Amino acid sequence: MKLGQTISLALRTLIRNPLRSFLMMLGVAIGIASLTAMASIGEATQQETIRQFKRMVGTYDLVSIVPGAASTRGMPSLTTVEPSLKFDDATAIAEEADGVLQVAEVQNAFDIDVKYRDKTTVSAVYGVSANWLEMREYFLETGDVITQDDIASLARIAVIGQDIVTGLFPDEDPMGKQIRIGNVPFAVKGILVSRGAGPGGGSLDGVLFIPVTTASKRLFQRDYLTTITAQLSDPGRPGPSIESITTILRERHGIVPPGEDDFTISDSRASAEQVEEVSSTLATILTGVAIIAMIIGGTVIMSLMLIAVSERRREIGVRRAVGATRTDVMLQFLIEAATVSVVGGLLGITLGIGGATITAMQQELPPVLLWDTIGFAVCVSVGIGLIFGLQPAWKAANIDPIDALQS
Amino acid sequence: MIAVENLEKTYRRGDGTPVMALKNVSFTIGEGEFVTVRGASGSGKSSLLNILGCLDTPTSGVYRLAGEDVSNYTDEQRSHLRCRRIGFVFQSFNLLSRTTALENVEVPALYSGERIEEGKAAALLERVGLAERGGHFVTELSGGEQQRVAIARALMNDPPLLLADEPTGNLDSEAGHSIMELLGELSNEGRTIILVTHDEAVAEFAQRELIIRDGLIASDTLRTAKPPASEKTGS
Repeated sequence: MKLGQTISLALRTLIRNPLRSFLMMLGVAIGIASLTAMASIGEATQQETIRQFKRMVGTYDLVSIVPGAASTRGMPSLTTVEPSLKFDDATAIAEEADGVLQVAEVQNAFDIDVKYRDKTTVSAVYGVSANWLEMREYFLETGDVITQDDIASLARIAVIGQDIVTGLFPDEDPMGKQIRIGNVPFAVKGILVSRGAGPGGGSLDGVLFIPVTTASKRLFQRDYLTTITAQLSDPGRPGPSIESITTILRERHGIVPPGEDDFTISDSRASAEQVEEVSSTLATILTGVAIIAMIIGGTVIMSLMLIAVSERRREIGVRRAVGATRTDVMLQFLIEAATVSVVGGLLGITLGIGGATITAMQQELPPVLLWDTIGFAVCVSVGIGLIFGLQPAWKAANIDPIDALQS
Repeated sequence: MIAVENLEKTYRRGDGTPVMALKNVSFTIGEGEFVTVRGASGSGKSSLLNILGCLDTPTSGVYRLAGEDVSNYTDEQRSHLRCRRIGFVFQSFNLLSRTTALENVEVPALYSGERIEEGKAAALLERVGLAERGGHFVTELSGGEQQRVAIARALMNDPPLLLADEPTGNLDSEAGHSIMELLGELSNEGRTIILVTHDEAVAEFAQRELIIRDGLIASDTLRTAKPPASEKTGS
């Protein structure tokens, strides 16, 4: 029996037994709908988490060098930062290290009082080089970024986050206004677009950027950096660049074996991978739930097929009598199961995408349309039909035609 | 066409005791013969028909179909034989429900591995006098009409041998008579027909009658009376 004929026979049988076909499809549709929805929601959650993470730590292609050995690593603050990283170190890395596109210099401190007239707020203050904002993907709502000229002239200008705007300028336009950081006056040059909340729920907008040179000479009076950030040309293979930076810094700092590094290089990919791992665990759990739903769908198909085989004993007997081989009968039932399963699967995909889109809207997650999930769902539904149709088809194929014709 | 030698069939009952349904049965049937096999229920005639129809295999003995020893054919080989060489007509018609008359006639062609000849099924329905009924579902047909559809189906792959198991058993005498006439015509066209029945009246349509009793051929008679519709005898 030819495949095309078998498929059209299957379709005809299904159309002529609408209730049974509908129930079988429903079983698969529910399973596939949950698979598609769960996978999409899982993926959306994962992407959103990664997006937030990137916003927090910067892009993937950046490595951070902070002073101090790994064992004493912590969030830098005014009091505990080791003065081991110098401006010249940053220049040396930019000029000599392998696979480094550019280097940003950072000198920062937390919990600094920022004042405007009678109002005071507390902010993290970052003295940064001119390329920093772009490297870390900070975008301006209004005003201008820190320029090379600002760096050269030790300009007293600041680019402020939204929390500073709400804290100091509830009813006026901050642009050009004079604020006091510590006790040094700065003019507001630009305002950042809000970055919202980080994965921990804290605001990412309580920041204030000033030229790194100004921070060093006029505000903090420190000649060392709290962070050097290097952008890599090949973020997929950070190893050689990290080695190269390590060699340069050890040489410059006069460290010889067995002396330990007096700096720590952190590759943000490592922590990003952890985030990815957490959210992909979530996706795995959701997918597990969906797979259980599909096993239920498959069981529905199997039980209805088994009933159908008993009901159709006589038909099987007739087909065998007029020349159908066991294989023909087996294929007929398998293809019926696969066909009903595919149609149910397509129905389920439609329902699943609908469900995922609605959920995404409610959760304010970006909607994700996963073509590979859809492809996977189609394969899974064919698979369900074939796997759960196997036993009924086997049973059908092994019905003795003599018995079946007498029944 | 058919030669059986020392055919035996033994079944086991549920409790394991063997039952001999056929004991040392031998006969030959020539091409184009119309033979009835008559016997009481339990005589072994169904077992014989199942073996002749390649639905079953003998416990021992030889069955030659068109010169070929098919006694030990595999299930798949027997399926192919049934498809190409044998047409079945059953007492209870055994048409597929929720399927039209025309689709029923086409079923054997699905398994022949060849393209379904355009119009062949319709021509066969016309041959059995149901030209107008092809699109009807079998539930819309009378018993006599259903049996005609079944005969058309049996002819679909043009088999040389037709096996009929009580084909008039579920029909009133008028419908039964016309079915027997149709079978007589097919016999006259050169097809070998073996018809199993317990009805003496039906047996009168055939040229030859085998009577089976307790698994043995009790008699083998050539009839002189011809079926009413026949114009010439088979070979």
